[in-house]
Order: sequence, then C-alpha cells, then structure tokens
Amino acid sequence: MNSSLRAVLSFSLIAVLFLFVGFGQSWSVALSIFNLCLISSVMALGVNIQWGYAGLFNVGTMGFAALGGVATVLVSKAPIPESWAAGGNDLMIAALLTLLTIGAVVFAYRRTSKGPLRNISIIIIIIVGFAVVRPFYDPAVDAIEAVNPAHAGYLGGLGLPILFSWIVGGLFAAGAAWFVGKIALGLRSDYLAIATLGIAEIVLAVVKNEDWLTRGVKNVSGLPRPVPYEIDLQVSERFIGWVEWLYEGTLGAVSGADRSALLNDLVIESSSIFVKLCYSGLFAIVLLIVFTLSMRALNSPWGRMMRAIRDNETAANAMGKNITGRHLQVFIIGSAVVGIAGAMLTTLDGQLTPGSYNPLRFTFLVWVMVIVGGSGNNLGAVLGGFLIWFFWVEAEPVGVWLIDFATSWMDGSNPIRLHLMDTAQHMRLFTMGLVLLLVMRFNPGGILPETVHRATDQK
Amino acid sequence: MATDFLNALILLANFVIVPGVAYGSQLALGALGITLVYAVLRFANFAHSDTMAFGTMSTVLITWWFQSLGISFGPLPTALLALPFAIIITIGVVLITDRTVYRFYRSKRSSPAIFVIASIGVMFLMNGLVRFIIGPDDQRFVDGERFIITARAFKKMTGLDEGLAIKVTQGLTIVIAVILVIALFWFLNRTRSGKAMRAYSDNEDLALLSGIDPERVVMVTWIITAALMTIAGTLYGLDKSFKPFTYFNLLLPFFAAAIVGGIGQPVGAIIGGYVIAFSEVSITYAYKKFLKYLVADDWAPEGLVQLLSTDYKFAVSFIILVVVLLIRPTGIIRGKIV
Amino acid sequence: MKKLLLASTVLAMTAGPALAEDIKVGVILGYTGPIESLTPDMAASAELAFKEVNASGLLLGGKKIVSVRADSTCVDSAAATTAAEKLVTSDKVAAIMGADCSGVTGAIANNVAVPNGVVMVSPSATSPGLSALKDKGYFFRTSPSDARQGEVLAAVLQSRGIKEVAVTYTNNDYGKGLSDSFSNSFKAIGGKISITAAHEDGKADYSAEVGALSAAGSKYLAVFGYLDQGGKGIIQASLDSGAFDKFILADGMIGESLVKAIGKDLDGAIGTLPGGETKGAISFQSMAEKAGIKKGGPFTETSYDAGALIALAMQAAGSADRAAIQSKLMMVANAPGEKIMPGELAKGLKILKDGGDIDYVGATSVEFNKIGEVLGTYKELEVQGGEFKTIKVH
Repeated sequence: MNSSLRAVLSFSLIAVLFLFVGFGQSWSVALSIFNLCLISSVMALGVNIQWGYAGLFNVGTMGFAALGGVATVLVSKAPIPESWAAGGNDLMIAALLTLLTIGAVVFAYRRTSKGPLRNISIIIIIIVGFAVVRPFYDPAVDAIEAVNPAHAGYLGGLGLPILFSWIVGGLFAAGAAWFVGKIALGLRSDYLAIATLGIAEIVLAVVKNEDWLTRGVKNVSGLPRPVPYEIDLQVSERFIGWVEWLYEGTLGAVSGADRSALLNDLVIESSSIFVKLCYSGLFAIVLLIVFTLSMRALNSPWGRMMRAIRDNETAANAMGKNITGRHLQVFIIGSAVVGIAGAMLTTLDGQLTPGSYNPLRFTFLVWVMVIVGGSGNNLGAVLGGFLIWFFWVEAEPVGVWLIDFATSWMDGSNPIRLHLMDTAQHMRLFTMGLVLLLVMRFNPGGILPETVHRATDQK
Repeated sequence: MATDFLNALILLANFVIVPGVAYGSQLALGALGITLVYAVLRFANFAHSDTMAFGTMSTVLITWWFQSLGISFGPLPTALLALPFAIIITIGVVLITDRTVYRFYRSKRSSPAIFVIASIGVMFLMNGLVRFIIGPDDQRFVDGERFIITARAFKKMTGLDEGLAIKVTQGLTIVIAVILVIALFWFLNRTRSGKAMRAYSDNEDLALLSGIDPERVVMVTWIITAALMTIAGTLYGLDKSFKPFTYFNLLLPFFAAAIVGGIGQPVGAIIGGYVIAFSEVSITYAYKKFLKYLVADDWAPEGLVQLLSTDYKFAVSFIILVVVLLIRPTGIIRGKIV
Repeated sequence: MKKLLLASTVLAMTAGPALAEDIKVGVILGYTGPIESLTPDMAASAELAFKEVNASGLLLGGKKIVSVRADSTCVDSAAATTAAEKLVTSDKVAAIMGADCSGVTGAIANNVAVPNGVVMVSPSATSPGLSALKDKGYFFRTSPSDARQGEVLAAVLQSRGIKEVAVTYTNNDYGKGLSDSFSNSFKAIGGKISITAAHEDGKADYSAEVGALSAAGSKYLAVFGYLDQGGKGIIQASLDSGAFDKFILADGMIGESLVKAIGKDLDGAIGTLPGGETKGAISFQSMAEKAGIKKGGPFTETSYDAGALIALAMQAAGSADRAAIQSKLMMVANAPGEKIMPGELAKGLKILKDGGDIDYVGATSVEFNKIGEVLGTYKELEVQGGEFKTIKVH
C-alpha cells in the first residue's frame, strides 16, 4: 500500500475513534484525550528524532520530561521573598563553590595525563569540594524549607508567563542531555539504554528530594495558566453571549426557569470545551513547529548525513565524520523536544507532581508509541502517539466492560468473575505488551514505516 | 574500652555488613541472570525482573497449595520444596517466550536494540500477567523459623549493648547463592554444554564453525537463567514479601550490578552485586553511633555523619554506574563492550 | 487488534443505559497504584452508604444511587483528570466521592470538579496544602488535615514523657506534610527529632533506612507511612535488626493487617487515627464487618461518611442537581439539627423529606468549618495484646 495512503487511512481511523468518544462519552473527554495525545506525540517525536536519525536508544525520557516540568515551576511561580531572605545568600555561596569545584575537576582532567595521578587528584578535589560546600548548602536548605512548609518551603520561581517555561524546559533538558551524552554516548545501544534509564532515575531523585527547589513530593499546585479559567468564562458576559448565540435553536425551545437552567449547563459545558480547545490550539502549534522543523532537518544534507552514519557507522567513521559529536547533536535536540513536551504536560495538569513520573508511563509507553507508529518515521511517531495514548486511556473502561461481557453468564458472586473484574485494569499492561510484540514481529517498521529514499527512486 | 570496640563492630555488622551481604547476594543472583543472557544472547533483557516475579508467583501458588495439604519443611520455609516445581514452570514459560519472540529476531540477526524493545514488550506482558493471576497485593508465603539468631538473644548471650540479628532467609540466601555460583562455574568450566556456551559467547561465528548447535546453547542458557530467576525471586520474596510492583524496581540495580562488575562476566555480576549493595548501605549509613563507640566522648560527633541521605539510596546504584561508565566502562572485570 | 478496539468501543458506548430513576455518583480512588490494597474497602464503604440509602427507598421519591467507579491511579494526574472528566461529562455524575491521594485530588479539583461545578468529597486527601485550594466551596474532605494530626501526635508524646524520636515518612505529599507538621509541633513543645528520613514505598529492602534511623540514637521510631507498604517494611526491618522496638504510628499505619503481620512485637506501639470511639464509629465498624469490609481499615469510616453526606445533601436539596448538592452539603453536616448516626440514613432522609434539619454525625463526627474541612477528633491508640485499643480521644 502506498505510504501516503496508509498515513491518510491511519489518521482517518484516529479521527473516527475520537468521534466515537465524542458522541459516545462526551466532547470534553474526547478533547482531554486529544490534548494528551498531542503532548504524547511531541514526546514520541523527540524520541524518534534520536532513534530514527541516529539509532540512539534513549530510555531516559522520564528524566527529561521531569526537567520540563521543573522548568514550568521555576519560570512561572512568583518568587517567595522570605525564602530568598532566609537562605538565598548561603545558597549562592554554595552554588559558587560547586562551580569552582567542577572547574577544578575539569582543570585537573585537562592538565594531567591518564593514570593514577589524574584519578586521585580528581577524587581529592571532589571530596574537598563536598566538604566545603556542605556547610553552606545544608543550613541554606533547612532555612528555606522551614519557611511556611505547608504552602511554600521553596524558593519560588521567576514569575514570568508560563509559555516561556516551555522553551526553558527544552533548554533544561538540552543541558542535561549534553551532560548525559558526554557520559553515555559512544556506548553500545543497550548500554546507552541502561545508562539513560539510570540517569533519569537520578534526575527524578533530585527533583523529589530537593524541596527548596521544587517542593519535592509536596507538589507545586496552582501553576498559572496560558488559557482562561473556566470559572472566569462562566461569569463573563461576553462568553455567555456567545453561548446563547451558538445554541439559539436549543435555547429557543424552552423558556423561563428551564431556559436559564439549560443555559447554565450549556455555559459550563462550553467553558470546559473552550478551555480545552485553547490548549489544543497551543499544543497543535507546538507539534506543527516541531514536526515541520524535524521534516526539514530530515530532508536536508544534515539529515541525510545523520542517516548515513546510522546505517553504516564504520564507513562514516572511515570518511572522517565525528560520529560522537553528531550523535550528541541529535541527542540534545531530541531530548529538548521531550523537555518541551514535559513542560506542556505540567502546564496542562496545572501542578508539578514528582511522584507521578514513573518509567512505565513516560519511557516505555513512549517507546511503544514510536515502534508501533513507525520507527524512524516522524509522521509515524505522531500517529503512534495518538493511537497508543488513546488506547492506554480507553483500555481501562473497555477492558472492564469486556470482562463484564465475557463473564456475564457467570453468577455474580462467582470468585473467578470477581477476581477477573478486580484485575481487569491490569489488562492494560498485558495488551500493551501484546500489541508491541505483534507489531514488532509482523510489521516491524510500524504502521507507517520509514520511507527509504534511494537515488534510483528519483523520478 | 574493649567492649566499646566490640559494640561498634557488632553495630556495623548488624546494620551494614549483614544487610549488605544478604542484599548483595540477592543482587548478585539477579545480575548473574542478566549477565548470562547478555553474554550468550547478546542483549539486555528488560523483562528479567518481571519474569522473576512470574517465577516467584509460581512458587507462592505452589507453596500455598503445599501448605493447604499440610506439607512443611520443618524450620526451613516450605517454599524451598515448591521451588523445583516452580522452576520447571518458569523454564517452560521462558522457553515459550524465546520460541515465539526472540528466535525470530535471532534468525534475522537483528540489532541488540530490537531485542531490547522486544524484551520491553515481554516485560509488559509478564507484568500484566502476574498481576492478573495473583493480583497486585502483598503476599506472604514464608513459614518455618524466622531467625538464626535474634538481636535480643545475641545481647543476652554476649552481654553487649548491641545485638546482631541474622534471619533464616538471609542465611539461606547467602548459602544458596554460594552453592549456585559454584554450580554455575562448575557447569561453565567443566561440562561440554558450558564450554559450548562460553565459546558461543566469545565468538559466535567460530563457535558455529566448530559445530556447536546454537539453538541448544540458547536453550541451555534460558534454562539456567530461568532457574536463577526463580530461585533469586523466591529468596527475595521470602526475605521481604512478594509484591509484583517491587520486582520491577529491582531491574535497575540488577543492571547496575551487572555493568559495574563487568557485563558478560559471571564473576563480575557477583562482584558487582556486592559492590552495589554495600555502597547503598554504607554511603547512606549514619556513622554517629559507630564513631561514638570508637572515640573519646568529647570528640563524639554532633551531626549524623551521613554521606548521603537515605533519600538518595536508590540513586546511589546509578551514581556508581555512571562513575564506572566514566572511568572504566568495561566494569571491574573487563566485560564485553562493543 | 484495532478492529477489536473499534468494535468494543462502539459496544461500550451503547451499552447499558442506566434507569431513569438512577442517580450516578462517581467513586474515584486509586484502584491501581501505591494504595491499591486499601481502596477497594474504601469504595465498598461509600457504596455501603449508597446501598443503605437505596434500600430505604426514600431518596427523592424512590430514586437509587448508582456508584460509578473510576481509577485515580493515585500518582498520574493526567490519567486521574481524564478519568474524572469521563465521570463528570460522560457519565454525568451528580457528585464525586474522592479522590484518595492528595496530589491527584488537587489536580481533579482544579481541572475538573471546580470548573464543572461538581462537589468533591475526599475521604483521605490529608495534605495541608489542600486547605489553600481555590474551590468556590466545592471541595470537602471528611478526613482532617495533617496539620492537626501533627499537633495531636506531638501532644500525645509529650503526655507520655517521650522527648526524642526518629522519624521516617513515606516519600509523598502525605508523608512529607505530616512529618513537617509533626516536627514543627514537637519541636515547639521542646521535643527533639534525632533524624528524619524518607522511605520509598514499593521497595523491598529498608535496611539502609533503618540503619541510618537507628544510628541517630533515639529509642522511638515514628512511622508515617502506609501499613501495607513501606511502613510495614520499616517496622519489620527495625524489629529484625533490633534497631527499634518502640513505635509511633500515624493514621496510615493503623489497621488489623499490621498487627497480624507483625505480631506481638508490636505491643506497646502508640498511634493516632482520625475518629473517635464514638457510638457512630462503633456502629459503623459492626456494619462494615457484616458487609465484609476489613475491620479498622484506614479511611473506611471517612468514605462511608462522604457517601452518606452526598446522599443526604441531595435529599435536602430536593434534587440531584450539582449546584444544589453543593449548597446543602454544609447544612446537612453541621449543627443544628437532628443527629444522624451510621445506619440511620433512612431516618435522616425522612426528616429532610419532611423539611427538617439534620446534623450528620456519622462515623467520624463530621462538622465542617467554613472551607469544608473537618477539625477532626483523633483517637490515641496503643497496641495491647495484638490489638489496637483506644486510650483517649483528643
């Protein structure tokens, strides 16, 4: 089947599924799933950039998404003056000393040659650095966290509009990716996977435990929004006017108290949908930008070089290409995209919940999206993002319903039936694994496999 | 003075050494399975710990059945009797998985990343399956004696302030781990199949040229790994309790142990297991009491004397992993790395 | 695979319409996730209240409440919000009983419940941070904020002459919030905290945490965790290694399964739990036991009360309209009025039908302050002879 026909069919299928949800459940639900699908697609795109362009097996998506989330807090929350007064100075000193230590390590690394002298001097510098920084860091942290711990207990942010945080999230993730890449790239693919998985855990441990920065597990809620609040819309004259105009027909049919009750319901429903549509718009714009840029990069000389390196590393190396350097570029760009997606997700949630980042949902699920959608194909990654997230969310009610249907002939208190009903939720995991294995086996390219451009194809 | 010194020693033994050795043995057994699969089948098996959960689940179910029949093993846990049967079941499941999933990619000579992704699929499958069959709750299946020696008994025996406790399961873990390791090394070095495995692992093409049957090698590897997984998982479940969720969290420490020790090298897996376990426990231990016993009272430390708070316990394994990757990527015993 | 999904989605949408006489109430708790072993009983308790109401036939002229369960996952705000969306916009529930964990409760309240004007009554979200939620009066909780439990616990320790403790808490907003509140209160009355160390649920090995905790030197260990998760593991590890044998437990640790698992070594442990040994609590316990709910299960009392309050508010409002329920919830929960105990819901419904006022007391002596929170009474408990016995009520 022609690849563009496949793409059109697949996306039409997704559209139909959404229509089903919209009519069958509600438009609000359909839109909220849609928004999360958009975010998942951006994440899948980021992973696909690394996998498709360079064959890099990054299983640390969770950490980069968490960094994106942290960025939203640090950018958009207002600064808390008491915390800064309590511990700001000491913290600055600690930061300075840490930078000096790192500088000293780099200095020692460059100036000495490989051998015991280098290792010992680096270890000594690190120990000294540790001992020097702690006396400033510990009291600063305690002081900051003691300021109103139930509602604050951290430094706050910069108080800038939250949309900036999406870019900042990308930058944080890019920075971390640079650091991770320097350590882990150049290793074999599954080694890289384990290393990135471990580093994501380290990042998450820091986010969870450094309360003075992120409030840790106490969560930061009430993040400002880039879109209006439903409760504001519900009292806005203009918005109510719009709803009246939109639903003129339905409203005209009733009158009096019934009419105002109906109008009230419609206003509430419409406000919810309106807000979601605003988010959809913003997310779709980001997706479009990232997608367009990725496609242009793919079809540029740079993109062709990257894929050539991926397909035959030895030859590329022989030609003098700096493989690790190129890989680092792609790694940073892909991770930055994941960071942006992480920031978008936290913005949508309106709160940063470090405890919610787990490898299953953020890393492995995204990989299923990339593989099933079409590994190496950007459009495939987007498709995978939509399809798999949709399935992941709808699998719970559908699974429960399926079990209910399949065991309906059994007596209501039959222990097998009860057990199956209880564990129906775990069907999700099982079917996800099954889908992944089936796709990998029978359709390894995914639904939209990578299009290979050969010189002979040119017409 | 001497009692202070003894007290300090026992304190360290009770909170650092014994837990470290027990945890290290558990990690070592898990890492062994990972490293074997990596050496022979050449990929990092992400489904390892969930398959372990499956094996342990089989042991639990059979143990319950035995217990309901009134079978027991005296002071030792009944689960040990159930173990051989559970191993057989797990071997069956693992072989079926290989036949249906991995064999296809072997025939296509797919890249390691493909194998890993397939193992992620298997991981999801096992995860769901275990929870589906036995549910996500905590299950206890240990019986028999709990302690070889309790802290209180120790204090009474020796008259010291500090007690030393050693659980039966801890002792079992260490003993069984030693037995398994010896058996494994004997197998790898002295039997034909073992040598064939090592040859296949070192150089696949040459091994095939020598007439070694690759499918047989693969089968033997999976059988050994399945046995290791089941035993390791059961010992772990006996020591703590069986909860599907916790097994998934062990995957990373296993990998860390295998890599730190030198992946692809069985000895490395064992060393790596103990290195990781001891680092976790000793870096996060607060040495305040220990030092108080050793030094004069006016020098006694005021603070906790703790290098890293226990918040970062989980991260310690990865920090070590990262450090090893930076300094010596092949691991302590030079393992495979491509 | 996709065809199956398609077909089942179609069928699911068109399956079973509820009877016109049914009112749907959402019960959103973490059926998968860190407290998945506690939530079935919590849901069952709320549904016990619904069953009682339905059996009486007095609700709004014979209407029945149907509980619609949804999974909050306790940790994944996106999934929880989507599930809540479904409840509110697709199932069109009249009110929500939930959620269980403070993080997702905040997310659901902010993103779904408040914007759509649906009342949320949480049985177990105890984070002090939720007191600052901008909820327009739509968020209630039947379990008191941990800001109060910390104070009570500190007072209990002081009354027993305990001056120094080591603290471990489960690493989430519940544990951290409670630990902070307790530390502040305890230090304010002159107590000393030798070390505070978090523990992660779902790990199997806590020897490192226990080692660090015991090395700090105190004889008492305060455990602010969950009784079938890390909290139990910590206690077990402490007893095994001889690190601690005197424990102080918070509400998440109180329950029969803990004493059963630990045995007589737990004797002498002290704890606090929201609730009292009131008549209401005792009658609920026997009702619950008959219905197969584990006795003394955490938050079963608060869940029952939450469910009962929603039903009574509906009756008081004379309809299942969402805004109307919100307007009457405070009234049915607070004095003045005829006091209603667990098991007396039929009586309460009748009084409301006749235009009277009630004061729902329930299993936890519910009385809301002006932001929809309960001040809460706490039981001081001690483990004696393998059972939790109430010593005093604070």
